[in-house]
Order: sequence, then C-alpha cells, then structure tokens
Amino acid sequence: MPANSLQSQSQPESQSESPSPPSPYLLEMRGITKQFPGVLANDRVDFNVKAGEVHTLLGENGAGKSTLMNVLYGLHQPDEGEVRMNGEQLSISSPSDAIARGIGMVHQHFMLVPTLTVTENVALGLKSDRRPLTDLPTVEKRITELSQAYGLQVDPNAYVWQLAVGERQRVEILKALYREVSLLVLDEPTAVLTPQEVEELIAVLRQLATDGRGLVFISHKLHEVMSVSDRITVLRDGHVSGETTPAETSREQLAQMMVGRPVKLVPDKPEVDVGEVKLVIKDLEVEGDRGNLAVNGISLEVLAGEIFGLAGVSGNGQRELAQAIAGLREAKSGTVSIDGTDVTNAHPSSVRKAGLSYVPEERMRDGVVSGFSVSENMMLLSRRESEFARFGFMRFGAIKEHSSNLVDRFAVKTPNIDTPTRNLSGGNIQKLILARELSSSPKVILAAQPTRGVDIGAAEYINEQLAKQKANGCATLLVSEDLDEVLALADRIGVIYEGRLMDVIDAKTATPHQLGLLMAGVAKAA
Amino acid sequence: MNLLAIVDFSVVEIFAARSGWSGFFTLSTLVVTIAATIRLATPFVIASVGESVGQRSGVLNLGVDGVMLLGAFGAYYTTLETGSPWLGLAVGTGVGAVMGLVYAFITVTLHAQQGISGIGIYLFGLGMSDLLFRQLVGTPKPIGGFEGLFEFSVPETRFDVAYPDLYNHSILVYMAFLLVPAVTLLVNRTTFGMNVRAVGETPEAADSLGVSVTRTRYSTIIIANSLAGVAGAALALEKGIFIQNITNGMGFIAVALVYFGAWRPIGVMAGSLLFGLVNALVLQWKTLGIISGATAQLAEMAPAAVTIIALVVVTNRIGQPSALTQPFRRGAH
Amino acid sequence: MKLHKFFSFVLIAGALALFAASCGSDDDDDTVATTAAPTTEAPAPPLRIAIVSPSASNDLAFSQSISDGVNALGDERNIDVAITDGTFVVEEAAAQIRAYADEGYDLVIAHGSQYGGSLEEIAPDYPDTTFAWGTAADTFGLDNVYAYTAAADQGGYVLGTMAGALTNSEVIGVVGPIEVGDAKLYVDGFKAGAEAQNSNANVSVVYIGSFSDVALATETAQAHVGQGADVMTGSAQMVVGAVGVAQNEGVLWFGTQADQRSLAPEIVVASQVYKWEVILQQIVDDMDSGASGGKAFVVTLENGGLEIAYNDAYDLPANVRQLAEDTIAGIIDGSISTS
Repeated sequence: MPANSLQSQSQPESQSESPSPPSPYLLEMRGITKQFPGVLANDRVDFNVKAGEVHTLLGENGAGKSTLMNVLYGLHQPDEGEVRMNGEQLSISSPSDAIARGIGMVHQHFMLVPTLTVTENVALGLKSDRRPLTDLPTVEKRITELSQAYGLQVDPNAYVWQLAVGERQRVEILKALYREVSLLVLDEPTAVLTPQEVEELIAVLRQLATDGRGLVFISHKLHEVMSVSDRITVLRDGHVSGETTPAETSREQLAQMMVGRPVKLVPDKPEVDVGEVKLVIKDLEVEGDRGNLAVNGISLEVLAGEIFGLAGVSGNGQRELAQAIAGLREAKSGTVSIDGTDVTNAHPSSVRKAGLSYVPEERMRDGVVSGFSVSENMMLLSRRESEFARFGFMRFGAIKEHSSNLVDRFAVKTPNIDTPTRNLSGGNIQKLILARELSSSPKVILAAQPTRGVDIGAAEYINEQLAKQKANGCATLLVSEDLDEVLALADRIGVIYEGRLMDVIDAKTATPHQLGLLMAGVAKAA
Repeated sequence: MNLLAIVDFSVVEIFAARSGWSGFFTLSTLVVTIAATIRLATPFVIASVGESVGQRSGVLNLGVDGVMLLGAFGAYYTTLETGSPWLGLAVGTGVGAVMGLVYAFITVTLHAQQGISGIGIYLFGLGMSDLLFRQLVGTPKPIGGFEGLFEFSVPETRFDVAYPDLYNHSILVYMAFLLVPAVTLLVNRTTFGMNVRAVGETPEAADSLGVSVTRTRYSTIIIANSLAGVAGAALALEKGIFIQNITNGMGFIAVALVYFGAWRPIGVMAGSLLFGLVNALVLQWKTLGIISGATAQLAEMAPAAVTIIALVVVTNRIGQPSALTQPFRRGAH
Repeated sequence: MKLHKFFSFVLIAGALALFAASCGSDDDDDTVATTAAPTTEAPAPPLRIAIVSPSASNDLAFSQSISDGVNALGDERNIDVAITDGTFVVEEAAAQIRAYADEGYDLVIAHGSQYGGSLEEIAPDYPDTTFAWGTAADTFGLDNVYAYTAAADQGGYVLGTMAGALTNSEVIGVVGPIEVGDAKLYVDGFKAGAEAQNSNANVSVVYIGSFSDVALATETAQAHVGQGADVMTGSAQMVVGAVGVAQNEGVLWFGTQADQRSLAPEIVVASQVYKWEVILQQIVDDMDSGASGGKAFVVTLENGGLEIAYNDAYDLPANVRQLAEDTIAGIIDGSISTS
C-alpha cells in the first residue's frame, strides 16, 4: 500500500494507536436511528464493513441509504446508535471529523469546485507546508503518483469544469486517496458512466479493496451490485430488510427485498406490428444554453407501435433534442413532424394538438407545478376543454371525478387529490405526469428519462404503461441513460454522442458492450 | 525627465491662454487630471477591492455605503478629538470590522437574505452616522487629515519640481493601490484564498473537505467591511471633513465596480480608475470652459452612464461566483 | 439572465436610496421646541412654526439659514418650532409637510425649491394652515401660501467685486451645485461683480451636479487651483470640502448662505448671510393682520435680510472694505445693477 510516505496532515494515524480491543470490523454502525419531521429515515440500522471488502448498500430512494451515510460523514447527527472505527467509538459532528478518521466519500452530486483546478480541488481543506501560501506542486506530484498507481488518469492542471463526468469522478476518488482514507463511500457512482467506464471503475474499486481499504458501494443497479459486491445490505423504509452475498442471492431476490413484493425486472415486450411513420426528425440542429450546437444534425423516424430508444450519457444533446421536439426550444435548422403535421418551432400547444405527449426530464420543473394540487396538475392539459370548463370557469365536479379516475387508474399514491404535488414521492409524481399525458390518447410519446430517480416498483409500472401504449399503436421515443431500460423496452436503439446519432441498432442484436462503445463516441462498434 | 520639463515649459508659454482645448492639452493640466483621477478613484478602489473578497466567498453586501459612512464618521470624530489621523484610520477600520461581524452574523449564522440585509446595513449606517454627527459634533468642523501630514515625498529631482501632483498623495492613496496586489495574492496564492474561492463557488464541496464555510465567510465579510470602513475613513481624512451622507452613494458604485471588474482586484481597480477618470475629465473640461451649460449638465451623467455601459458591454460574467447570495446550510441541497 | 441580475441590482440600489432617506430621517427628526421670550401680556398661545428642509439644519449653509432665522424670530415673540431636516427626498418631505399641517401648526415652511410641486398639491387640502415656500417667487395663486426668496445676486455681486480686487492671478474659481435657484443667482451675481471690478479676471464656474458630493466639490476646487485660481467661492453644503482645499492651498474664499468663517478662519474673507427673520417677521405680521398667504417676499441688502459678514481674523485691506461698502450702497440706491 503506497500510502505511508506522503504527508497528509489532516489525518491522525488510525491504525495502531487506539488501545481498543481488536475488532473484526473496520466500521461498525450499530442501532442508528434518525428521525426527520414526519419520517423515520433510519430505524435501528446496523451496518458494518470489513477492511478489504466492498459492501453494497442497496435500497430504493428514500429507504434511508443517504441518511445513514450522512450520519457516517458528519452531515447528520443520529438520534440513537453509535459509530465505531476499528472498535473505537467515534462522535462525528462534521465532515472534517470524518476525514480525520480516515472516512472518504464520493458523493452522487460531485463535491468539486468547477472553477478550481484538479490539484486545487484535491488540496482544498489540507494544511499546506508553505502556509499561508498554497503548496500546489507537492500536491500535484502526489496526484500524479496516485493516478498512475490506480489507473485514474486525469490532468492535474485542468480546471474541473473542463473535465468529462468520468474524469470528475476520478478526481473525487483521488481526493479521498490523497487523504489516505481507510474507508471509502461511493454514492451511486455509476449513475453517470458508460458501461465501459463502469467496468473501469469496478476494477479500481476492487484494487482499492485489495489494498486493504473498506468500501461502501451505494447503488440501485442490480447487475452492478451483483458484480462488484462482497456483501450486500438492503434497506427498506429506514430499516435493514436483509443482508446477503451475491453468491446467495439473485437480482430478483434483491429487488423483492427492496420493494417488499415480487417485481418483474424485465417488462414483457409485446410483439406489435409496426404501422406508418408517426414521428419524423430530419437534419435537426439545436443550440444549447451556451450557444453550442447541442444537437448536430439528427435524423430519425419512429413508427406506430414502436419504441425507439435513444441511449447516451446525459449531456450529449438529449435534453435539447427533447425540448426542440416539444416546442420548448428553438430548432436552428431541420424539421420535426408529428403524424404528418410539420411542428418545427411550433408553439407547444400546437405540438400537443398534433398528437404529442411529453414526459419531461426535469419533472419537478417542467412536468408539474409543484405547489398545485394533484388534481390541478392533472388538469393542466385539458383545462380549456368544455368538459371541464364553462365560459372559462372550471367545473370542479367534473374535474374531481376525472382526477380521481386517473389517480386510481395509474395507481398514484396520494392522500387525496387536493394534496400539494410537491408532497408526493418522485415515483408518484412521475405516475401523475404519465396519467395526465397518456390519458389524452397520444399518437407520439416523448418520454425523457421516465424512470430516473424513481423506485423500482414505480419504474416497473411506468415501463408497463409504455409497453401498453405501444400495443395501442403509439409511437414512442424513449430517451434514457439507463441502458438496461432501453434494452428491455426498445425495438430499435439509437445512440447519441455529442449531438450526433452514432448508429441505430436493432434491439434484438444489441449488446451493452456495443452500445457502451457508441456512447463513448467510438464510431461503428466492431 | 529634463526634456519633459522643458517641453512642458514651452507648451505652457505657447498656450498661455487658458481656455479651450489648448488649455487642456498642457502637460500640467494633464498631470492635474491624472492626479484627480487617482484621488477620486481611491475610496472606490479600497471599498470595491474589499467587497470583491466578500463576493468571492459568495456574500453580497449592498450595505457598503452605510459601512463607509460609519467608517468615515468614526475616523473623522476620532481625529477631531485626538488630532491623530492614524488613530482615526484605526477606528474607521474597527467600525467596519464590527459592522462586518454584525452582517456576518445576520447572513451566515442566521441565513438571512443578503439583499435585504445589506439594505438594512445601509440604512443603519446612513441614519446612525448622521445621528452621531449631530449629537457629537453638530456643525462641520475641519480636521487635519493625512493631507499635508503624511504626504509622500521623494528626494528632489527635476521631475519632482515639475510634477509633484503625480505622486504627492497622502499615504492612504498608496495603501489603496497596494491593496490590489495584496488581495490578488491573498485570493490566488494562499490556502485561505483557495478556501474563499471554493466557498463562493461550491460551498458543499468545501464543507465536505472540512473547510468551514462559516469561518471562511465570517473572515471575508469582516475583511470586506473593514475595508469599507477604511474607504470611508479615507474619504473623511482626505477631505478633512464630514457631512451628512458624505459618501453620496459611493458604496453602491463600489458594488457595481466589483461586477465590472469581474471579481478580480485588478479589474476592480481598472473600473475605479475609469470612473475616476471620467469624473476628472468632465470636471477639468468644465473648469476650462470647454463644456458649459446644457452640455455640462449632460456630462454630469457621464460617469454613471459610462459605468453602466461598460458593465453591460465589458463585464465578464464567467467570473461570477456561483454561490453568490446563496446562504449555506449543511446537508440542505 | 446575468444582465437581469445586474439591472435588478441597479433597481434595488435606486429604490433603497429613496427608502433610505425616508427611514433615515425617522431617526434624525430633531424636534426642537423653543419657547422663547415670554410676552408680558396675557400668555397668548405660542405661534407654532414647522420647518422642512433638505439638508442638515447645521450645514453652515442653506438649511442652517432658515433654522437660524426662525429661532431669531423667537426673540420677538412666543413661538414653538419643529424642524425636520435632511429630507432630500421630495416624497418624504411632502409626507412631513402634510404631517405638520395635520398636527395643526400655524406656519409650515417648506424650505426647498424642489418642494414646490408637492406644496401645490398639499396647500389646498389645508386651508386653515399657512405655508411658506422658499426659495421661490411663486405662490401658485394660492391664498395660504407665501413665497420667499433671496436676492442672492446682490451679496454675490458685492463679494465678486471684493474678489476682483483681491485676485493677483486674475483667475477666480467657483464651485456650484446645480444651476438652479439662489445658487445660480449667487454665482451669476458673483461673476458679474468680479468682472465689473476687474475686466481681466477670468471667472471659471463649475456646477458639479450635486448638493452633497464632497469628493467632487473638493476635486473641482483642486482643479481651479491647478488652473491658477487664488480666489474661490461656492454655494451649498458640499462646499465644505472645497473650503478645505482653499485652506490647504492658501486660496481666498468667499462664503454664502451662512457665515463660513469657522471652517477656515485664515482664508475666509467674507460671507453673504441670509437673515430670513426679516421676511419671516413680515410674514408673521401679515398673518397677524388676518392674511394667510398669497404674497412673495425677498430678502435684500436694502431690507436687511442680506448681510455681508466680514471675517475679523482676515486682514482685509481698508480700500477693499470701502469698495464693498460702496457697492452695497450702490446696489441699495439702484446705481449699480447686479446683472
């Protein structure tokens, strides 16, 4: 382990000094309980990690994984329970305490300062030998050593804003390694990576474990969990619902432990005869927020009864493409037509009239008015229809009935239809949007990241609904960065990279490896 | 330098008539204009370089003008009572630091909205400085400030004889311009400065690495407000006087100059000098009768207009700290 | 987006400047109650007089002149005075004028030409209250408004002739605020006097565009000195900075509106002083006779409302002193025109 020659100043040596009795565990969390207003986020949770293992913490959103890790990292104080490292009880009241104890965390939302260089980001918070001045050359040298030792290639002098997502993650890991962590927590580290990057990351994680560190891997992607973990602990509703190892379990069992009932992971793909062309995009160019060409000449067609999956790492033009189709962003050139109607740069209401239903990526911002009630959000589309309004006044009786119907049909879990939408979980908000969008019997569905951040149960339901619409002869453009989802649902798969469509592949023959290469911009995979 | 003196001498002789453009293009007039530019820019340089430090850490203070007024009064009154401008300067700085502590408590500890809190500080400073002035002083009484007391002088040269105005400023002017490299060094080359930049950009990231957002912001706010106090003190000590609202809104211009300078001390200084130059030019042209009447009234708007136009045209928006005006709460994102 | 942020900032800054003034004056309200000179007769209720003025009442300039004048009135009769000063925001002043009228003051003095528009709206709402507005010549045809002003050009002319006589460099500098009202009258009179006395004199007039910018006033004085001025004058409260420059540079200074010799005893030659009590007395007398407005009054050298206050600490040559006295006499008897 190459970590003893450097002078990391923030960390007291954690290995031999404590006189506590030998513990088989590097980390022990016992009986952690944390209550938030209205939510018992952690309910007597036990969790431990041995040196040299990768221990996965698995659970739905809101199951309590983040709370548990925030307790470990000093961001929350537990109401009850204790944390021990190497048998010694700790009180961790801030991230600096955690760092001093050799705990490192790679957060899901990277904790990097974009306007600082890689070296500065690593040096941040460390004492410098040249106080009060910084000592960046020393830090840079050490970073280079570490990145060579672990294959974490990154330019120490680059600004973080210049880096790709995968590189930023490497910086996060380097930050932890520089601080000689003995325990490293990675929160959803694969969410933003291509399959190849995921493989590289897993290799790095295995090496870190082999070097004697303990790793906590947080994920909800079951196949990654199966491949990386030594042990798996599943959380559900704030308590531990099971502990197992990959050898003893299966993805289906894990999903059941997460949700509390059997879950169909791979939706049935109905065989539907495709019909005529419903959505045509031709040579579309769209500018991004910074005036760059975010969509750079994309052409594609989606047929009735077909789901076209658009895969790609997020930030490659998917958002701009979806917005341009829905009439929310100006197309610079090219055309979009829906069911034979040209809707290029048409007003969003015209686009909808032509037959489009849109499930937006930013569901809290673009999908609902979060302060509105469930029924008001249900009505957003149809509020001018005579059925629900007379002389511009809303007919509340009809609206209530319609909303209640939809809530039942789409299994939206809400106390009642007057509940403010912001109080619903992500999965239920997505169901609400789906209920609203699909109830208008669309010809074309544009679904952007429909299951991102949604629990497995709701994702299962959403996927079923999309499959059902397909059977009804709807043409669906499914934009997703979840390859499993795309492979499971789509009939054809296109891969978007830097605003271009790399290739379109028949889903029957596509493999994750092949798609991953395309997602990384390697043209026409062999 | 010798040559310069001769040239000037002849120029003065040739254009003895001192009206119109010919009067403006004499070396001595140009020198006077440059000297006026530097003097006019001084309080802005101090206040806005200070405010840039606060903003780099993500804290906007619209109360700069109020703190300047309190600093100006503190320095004025102390000097009036003790006769020591140095003591006055120290009190002005201290008053600024105390106001910084108050503002930091309000915005960092209590997480108050920065815009409104800054306005509160401004109102407090405006009212309090005036009240204290009436209660303690009453009628304006001139004080001996640094003017004449601590003037910088170099060994005599021919240049010295010809253009003392160029460098014959009070020590405060030199201190103001020395702040620019000092703060640049502080922000870019020290661990504290790195923390400041990180806290102003991504406070969560800094916090996750054990950098105390609270302590960093307290420090920068106190630095920023101390310098606002110094700026006010410089104004009162340079002019040797205090009156109600003596800053005349300078603090707000100073905040605007931070945007203009893209949060970099050198840019902020350039903005201050530009503002000072436009003021000095307009004034000099009026003095020489080059502009008069309606033109002169129009020209009075020039400094503000130039500042706004320059802000719109020049300002490099990339420099804005992402977390500017955002209160930080751990684990709240 | 970012631009939007800047503009909202500018808006906020502007709005808060207004707000500031309004709130600021809440803590500044200096309600001075003076009950002076008890009358020998039956204790008549005191005459209640309120003043609203734009700058500090101790500014050694515009606002001080009116509060000194009203207080001087107290030597003659029983009065009760309230002052709200520092109301450089017109809306705030208007609110205060209304408040005084509501409180039943007999005479409400709006001491600022910028308050005219507000007064024109307010006065008809309070027919039982008498208002005085200065410096102005117009009563809007309202019979409960008096207007008062100063023939500031007269004193300006006198001081100008002295300046013309005293200058050696024949360069004279003037630091003015904004080219309106009695500041303009004074400056025009001063320039005319100086040029009449000394045809070679070059009188450089600079209006800085502000009544409160001390820094700019100071630099303007510095610029005059840079151009060789050895005599300067200026009007309004921000001139305190310019007087400092004059002091440092050994340049002579003439003051106006109030006696400014305390600012710089060595170099202040003389000041034009307003004795508003002269016309205030006329207003009060007019009120006693049953009227409540509709007239305009002017303080002049002739009626004693304008005085030239010489600085005893300055060694004024006797011939210049005599020149000044002759000029005053000439203006009073009409043989000298100030324009």
